[in-house]
Amino acid sequence: MSVGLSERPVGTGASPARRGTGQGRIAAVLLAPAMLLITLFVILPGLLAFTAGLFRVDLTNGVRWTWSGVENFAAVLADPAVRQALVNTLVYCALTIVPSLVIGLGLALLANSFTRGRKVLQTLLFLPFTANLVAMAVVFRYIFDLRGGFANQALAVAGIGPVNFLGDTRYALPTVAAVGVWRGAALAMIMFLAGLTSVPTAVHEACAADGITRFTKLRLVILPLLRPTTVFVTVLTAIQAVQVFDTINVMTQGGPLGATETALTMTWRLGFAYYDLGQGAALSTLLLVVLVGAGVLRRGALTGGVR
Amino acid sequence: MNERALWRVVRAGLAVLTASVAVFPFVWMLRTSVAGADSVLVDGLAPVPSSFDLGNYTRAWRQADLGTAMLNGAIVTVSILTLQLLTCVPAAYAFAKLRFRGRGALYLVVLGCLLVPTQATALPLFLGVSSAGLADTLAALVAPFATSAFGIFLMRQHMLTIPDALLEAARADGLRTFSTLRRVVVPAAAPAIATFAVFSIFVHWNDYLWPLLVARDPALRTPPLALAIFQQAETGQDFGALAAGATIITVPIVLLFLLAQRRFVAGIAGGELPG
Repeated sequence: MSVGLSERPVGTGASPARRGTGQGRIAAVLLAPAMLLITLFVILPGLLAFTAGLFRVDLTNGVRWTWSGVENFAAVLADPAVRQALVNTLVYCALTIVPSLVIGLGLALLANSFTRGRKVLQTLLFLPFTANLVAMAVVFRYIFDLRGGFANQALAVAGIGPVNFLGDTRYALPTVAAVGVWRGAALAMIMFLAGLTSVPTAVHEACAADGITRFTKLRLVILPLLRPTTVFVTVLTAIQAVQVFDTINVMTQGGPLGATETALTMTWRLGFAYYDLGQGAALSTLLLVVLVGAGVLRRGALTGGVR
Repeated sequence: MNERALWRVVRAGLAVLTASVAVFPFVWMLRTSVAGADSVLVDGLAPVPSSFDLGNYTRAWRQADLGTAMLNGAIVTVSILTLQLLTCVPAAYAFAKLRFRGRGALYLVVLGCLLVPTQATALPLFLGVSSAGLADTLAALVAPFATSAFGIFLMRQHMLTIPDALLEAARADGLRTFSTLRRVVVPAAAPAIATFAVFSIFVHWNDYLWPLLVARDPALRTPPLALAIFQQAETGQDFGALAAGATIITVPIVLLFLLAQRRFVAGIAGGELPG
């Protein structure tokens, strides 16, 4: 499937005489529901995201909006808890993006090297991405539990004392990041696998004819061919990492002591635990700017040649 | 030749190892969901628990009110998909096959919406929904997703490939626009529609953030929300029941994935992602 921004739609307009005779009206009828809903639920909230941060929003008695200028933005940026959340988000990104990509690529190469059993392996390796994240987070919380968890019981066999994976400020963020990699690698794998299958057979034949080794072929031929895929997967993984929410909300609730609080969990906390919706909106504005920026990159990568 | 044999062994080992890591949490979830209370916290390493307790499932089902949650999940997911198909198919057709003024500009708006992640607009959307007095209603769970820019995009791409001659023939047969849509366009665009449907079900069954914001009423909880709240209420130590609850809400969606894996992968390769 080719997906491109620049692609021009193909019209029906064989005969110019028919152009405009009623097609405009039909189009209006066909488009109205979708465009109305998009305006209401995507465009307006998007605009609201940029303005709600400028108000003090009170939900206690109906909804009351009071103008407050840049007060919320200033408060959010000065709040040490928010700053920690932003730093945590960056650390989480650093801990998940590259490992997901490297492991994902490795898994894709592994799966691609099989002829028999490839489908089964691919399905199993992709399973982490399809699961319900809340359910998996519940399971991982048990796996990393201090007392009965699998991880600690396995460590005990090796004679290593129990590690408080989710309750220790030093380990909590790496632990939720590990779950992020578990899932992110599956996503990267399936994308790289799609990239690998699109390598023309002629390339493989040429390599075989020249008798170059597997490793040289990978380094000099396959990886350069996978470049557009890599850019695309990087942006995709980054977008996922920046808006991590479900796993953290379930596994640690941002704790201990804010050690796993991230941009999106902080937005939620500001809005719904502290009932400061204006500040929450201000933070989500900042998040939105980052994500739309990443989204533009993603579209760029998409038009850049991923098929 | 020897090296080749070695590579095969290493490769097989790697495959088993990586697949095990990928699948382990699922296996552990199933194992714990049938394990007795004593074997949940003590013999935490044994692949087969020392005692069994199917009461985990009844406890999870009752205490998390998963019956209501699963029903809500089904209603919300099916309603969203139905509305999306009703709004996206005509819009995609108009963008792909009709000529009208402002088509390019409007389509750019749709593409622009693909850039706005629902996560980042969830809070402002919630403010809007509350201001409209819709918080804590089924409508609030469904309406924001009643159309999909991604759906329009995906279906339009596919409808571009429908030959104009086919539409001309339909017109010559005297079919009106809506009959053409139903009898010609929908069958021709069926693969794209199926891909989108699988995708939509997956995203909205699993959605957690939005229900967390708008569904305060326990009667409105969706499956992930019900499970998350169950965990908090239990202070999370009844791992047997939690694993059973996790299994209950995971099984339908993993089955869907196994049945429609090709479509699902196509949707992701198309560039859109769930949650």
